[in-house]
This record gives sequence, C-alpha cells and structure tokens, in this order.
Amino acid sequence: MPVIQFAPFASLVQPAFWHELTRMKIDVLRLSDESLKVTGSYSVGRCIRDRETGQDIALGCNLSMGADAFERAPQMPTMSVLASGVFKNYNTIEDFKAADKAALFNDVANEMWSSAIDKRDSSKLTQFLLITFSDLKKYQYYYWFAFPAFVAKPPWEISESGWKGVDEQLSTAQLESIFNSLHAETRPFFFVQVTSDTAQVHSIDQAETLFSSTMTQSVIVGFLDPSASPENPGWPLRNLLAYLHALYSTQTSSLNVICWRDSEIPTHGRAWKSRFGVVTSAGGKPNVKPTAVGWERHPTTNKLSARMADLAPMMDPTRLADQAV
Amino acid sequence: MHAIQQQYWAVRDYLSPVLKESKFKEHGRITPEEFVAAGDFLSYKFPVWTWEKGDASKARDYLPIDKQYLVTRGVPCLRRATSLAYTDADEDAERLLSFGDSSGAADEWVETHAGRKPTLDSANTPGEIDDMPDLDGEHELASAMGNVSITSTAGATISETPDLDDIPDMEEEDLEDGEDEATAAPKPSVHSSGGVIDASQIDVANGNLLQVRTYDVMITYDKYYQTPRIWLIGYDENRTPLTPPQIFQDVSADHALKTVTIEAFPHSATLQAASVHPCKHASVMKKVIERMNAGVVEEQLAARKKEGKEGKKKWGFGRKSAAKDDKSAGDEDEVEGMRVDFYLVVFLKFIASIVPTIEVDSTTAF
Repeated sequence: MPVIQFAPFASLVQPAFWHELTRMKIDVLRLSDESLKVTGSYSVGRCIRDRETGQDIALGCNLSMGADAFERAPQMPTMSVLASGVFKNYNTIEDFKAADKAALFNDVANEMWSSAIDKRDSSKLTQFLLITFSDLKKYQYYYWFAFPAFVAKPPWEISESGWKGVDEQLSTAQLESIFNSLHAETRPFFFVQVTSDTAQVHSIDQAETLFSSTMTQSVIVGFLDPSASPENPGWPLRNLLAYLHALYSTQTSSLNVICWRDSEIPTHGRAWKSRFGVVTSAGGKPNVKPTAVGWERHPTTNKLSARMADLAPMMDPTRLADQAV
Repeated sequence: MHAIQQQYWAVRDYLSPVLKESKFKEHGRITPEEFVAAGDFLSYKFPVWTWEKGDASKARDYLPIDKQYLVTRGVPCLRRATSLAYTDADEDAERLLSFGDSSGAADEWVETHAGRKPTLDSANTPGEIDDMPDLDGEHELASAMGNVSITSTAGATISETPDLDDIPDMEEEDLEDGEDEATAAPKPSVHSSGGVIDASQIDVANGNLLQVRTYDVMITYDKYYQTPRIWLIGYDENRTPLTPPQIFQDVSADHALKTVTIEAFPHSATLQAASVHPCKHASVMKKVIERMNAGVVEEQLAARKKEGKEGKKKWGFGRKSAAKDDKSAGDEDEVEGMRVDFYLVVFLKFIASIVPTIEVDSTTAF
C-alpha cells in the first residue's frame, strides 16, 4: 500500500505583518530578541477553475500571517483556524545565521509532544516556528518558517482504493450536516459519527469515549484540510495521526479519515471537494517520542534555506515617490 | 511631491462632508450607511468577503468600528492581463452575461473579448509596464537616477527570485537528515486524478507556464468621492509580495498607471497598496445602475402582474422582509427597482473589467 504523502504548509506572510513587525521592533521590542508567541491561520484548501482550459487548479497549502499576528486571539472567518507559533527576531544577520536552529526546532517539537501526550491537549497540534532578521533600512526581511510534524515509523499508508471523493462514502444529507456544524463552529480537528442519514461532529477530545464505544466503524477522523491536492492530505493530519496513535494505539491501526475542504455547499452540479480515505499503520512503538521534520524549503531552489521578502518597492518612500503619477 | 499630494488628499477627505442623503440611482454615489448595508449583503451572500476593523487610530467615525472595510484574501489570478492581447478581431467575441433571472432582455451585461486566448507570444513575454516618464524636466538628474533603480526592479521581475547572494551559507541541508518519504514533493510529477491539477501541469507543453498569483482585495469607502474604492496587495506564485510594476501586469492596459496607482492604504498607518482611483466610479456606476434598474423595474412589474405578491422574490434573493412586501403590494404603481444592497455586487463586476484576470468577481454564480 502506498505511503501517504502529506502536502507541507507553505508560509504566506502578508505585507501588513512586516509593517507590524517594523512597528514592534522600533516601539516595543527594540533590541530584545526574546521569543514571542504569535498566531497565524490556515483555511480550507481551495482550487480555482481555469476559465480557458476548464480545469481545476489547486492553490497552495498556505499558512498565513497578517497584521494581527501579535494579538492574542484575532478574529477568524469561518472555515479558517488559528495556529500558534513561536517567533524570534534577530538583531543582526550574523545572529540569524548562527542561531541554533535545530535546538529552536526541537524546543517547539518537544513542547508540542508533551502538551499533546502528557497533558492530552489537542489544541497545540499545529504549531510553527518563525525566525526573522529585519533589515529596516533596506526594507528587507529574512525569514524562515518551520512547521514541526512527527515522523511515523513505519509510515502511515493509504488503502488500495486511495483517496476518493467524500461523496462516494457519505450521503449529501450527511455532508450537509457536517458542513453546517463546521460552519457554525470551525474546528481544526474533529470526529464525525455517522448514523443512517445524518452525521454528528464531535470534539477531538472525545476520542476516549468514541474509541471505547462499540461503533468504532462508524467513526471518522476529520480535519480542516489546507491542501487542495487530491492525493495529498494537508500537513495538520500528520500530527493528528501521531497524537491518536500515541494515545490509542490499539484502535488506530486502521482509521477512516475525512479531509475537509469545502468552504461552501457545492452548487451548479459541482462535486464536494473533501476527500475520504482509509489510513493504516503497521504498528510502531506508541510510547516513544518520534522525531520531527518540517523546515520550509525555499520555493524556488527547493533547498532548506531562509528566504527574503523585499518590501522596498512598497515601503521605501523614494521608490514610492517614483511610482506616483 | 507625492507626500504633499497625499497630505492634501487626507485633508480634503477630512473636510468633505459625510454624504447623508441617499441618491445612488441618480448619481451613483452612496452614503456610508448604504456602504455598510451593501457590504453586509456582500459578506452574507459571499462569505469570502469579511469586514475588518483595521488600525484603530485610522478608524472612520462615520462607519461602525468593526465594519471599516471589506477584505477577501488569496484571490487567484491565473494569467497576466498584459498577456491578453486586445485586437479588433476580438470585437465579435462579445458575450451577453445576464444577471439573476434572464427573462428580461434589459439586464444583460456584455463581456467583451469572451473566450479570447492569450497569444503564446505575449504570454511568454508579459509586457513590462515601466514607470511613467517624469514629465517635469526640472529634476533631470533625479529622474535619471529613478529610472536606473526602476529598470533594475523591472528586470528582476522575470526571475522573481530574491537575491540571496549577499548572505552566503544560508543553505542548511543538514538540518534534516535525508528526504522524508511522507512529505509530498512540491510539484507532483504524475497527473493526479480527481480533476484537480497543480498549476505547473498546465500548458507545460507550450513552454507557457501558468503563474498563479494571488491577491488580497480590500474595499474601503471613499468619503470624498462617496463611492467604494478598491485596493490590491499581490503575491507571486512563491507567495512573495509583488512589486508595483508586477501588479500593473494584472491591470488592463487602459488603466495601468492612469487610474490604478500605489497609494497609502487608509486603514493602516504605513501600508501601501495598489488602488483604482475612484474619480470616475460614480458616473460609471450610475450608467450601470440605470441600465440594470430599468430591467429590474420592468421585471418586477411584470412579475407583480403575473404572480401578485410572490413575484418580487427575483431581485430580493429571498431577503425581502414580509413588511416590505405588504407595503409595496398596497401601492401597485411604485416598484422598488434595484436595491442598494446590490451596489457592491455590481461594483465588483465593474472592477473586474479593470483587472480582468483577477477573479474578484465571485458573484458570477448568480
């Protein structure tokens, strides 16, 4: 059976975040390079129909940060969820390069693992690390994201039937009741309990009750999927599976998974975009803390390296004056 | 000079009175209350649009504190507007689009150049739109210097790779040991099933790669012109912010650097964004609304005759209150026509003609 390949998060930093960082750096942080808590967000994976070729094109699996990243609890539109992160800004490019990135990464991964497994807190399953160096004079921002994900050994596999459209598994009425529930309260992870013609959405924290019931076959593990690629579920599923496997290893050798990707109920004869699959694990030691991966690769070189946002064309007063008519 | 001009605009905006009287059908302008009503309708009908409060110090007191402007993020833009060649041969390619129930002939909308293909040639070399030459010759040295820096910016737009040469050793391949087999490759090489494809799979044979940009689109209320105003912040396919010359590639050539310019975004202390200047919005909106309104009134009258009270559903989209129905039903000769709620939906269709490849108009499903 094929190994599941997860679509990694791709960071999208809104210019408003760099503006906010500049303000923070000058007015609040100054020379401090302490770690800060920040928030980002992701929403359901989207695709766009190309009007010329008629094909659906998958858009990126984005985790975005905006001007509200330093706020405690920014407001979220529906079908978007928060992800918390650790943010560290360095004062010089030398410090940025010399930073012990492996240690920073491990700190975040360890914290994720201990809060998820020891405290059974599923809210910390999607976390990120962002390190930056801001060259305020040149309006250039060097940055590197990491999205720690636990590596399953042996890896999770998808059953022979592969990922398929969710409507092959569930009825329209069931899907609509899932949609309505998520629309009212969007959750990053959830359980769906299917009964004959409807479906109930439960919090992921009810795993204990659901797994101990006799109806395990009707339970589906769900997550808000930022990926739109049909064969690749999004990054958050990795840590969800690791979490469930560590706590309930006997019940998770085979799981029904729904990758939720619908931001609205499909109209005009279009199909539901969410995917369904049966994932299996060949065992593995549930008590051992797995290693984690997840540094973002540079989008053009595909190497592990930091990238730069050059905001000079949109921030430098002299450049802007040139644009003015 | 630009800074002074922006100061002047800010003062003018401050001094101009808030429009109180609603006359959107007569002159195409709307009051802040109508802007909020139209925005509520837009965000209700199309949840991709949400209200934002923006920077608290920049809040406008004539708008509710949590409804300062509308925003939608990640609007895709598949092709460059500059790659859509406008030729006379396209003139027959007009297509009639219709609003709502298309029984009335009057409420149709002409989409020009429907089904045009970007010519391969122009798609490969998306026309660079350089800066306007400086018209006043007084600062020759300054403008020469300006041009130098701009040419280098424009030249860099092709590769769009941030230059990391000045910080060597940024690569740290040893940070993670080996390839992780459970990580999906950034660009899947196999044709995937399910009808959804990656952008890299389109037109590869032609050597004409599709570069999917995304835009954050904001709609603010412009107090001076008393119309909505649109703002754009763009990202390239690697999610790097676009430079002004790159944004102008997505603006139809008639408007780039004429009505679309880079301005200070009014609800942030420092942010700059591309904006469509609203000086002609009111007159264009007036024409469009007049056309549509005639059709709506006609349709409402016809529907009234035919079905009595129920006939008004067509343009109300199910949101008409029962009270309104009763009132207008009592007065047979007076029909409501187009409601102001619909203003922003029409406005987006108008904006779509200025930025033809940015899919701002999510309302075609109507």
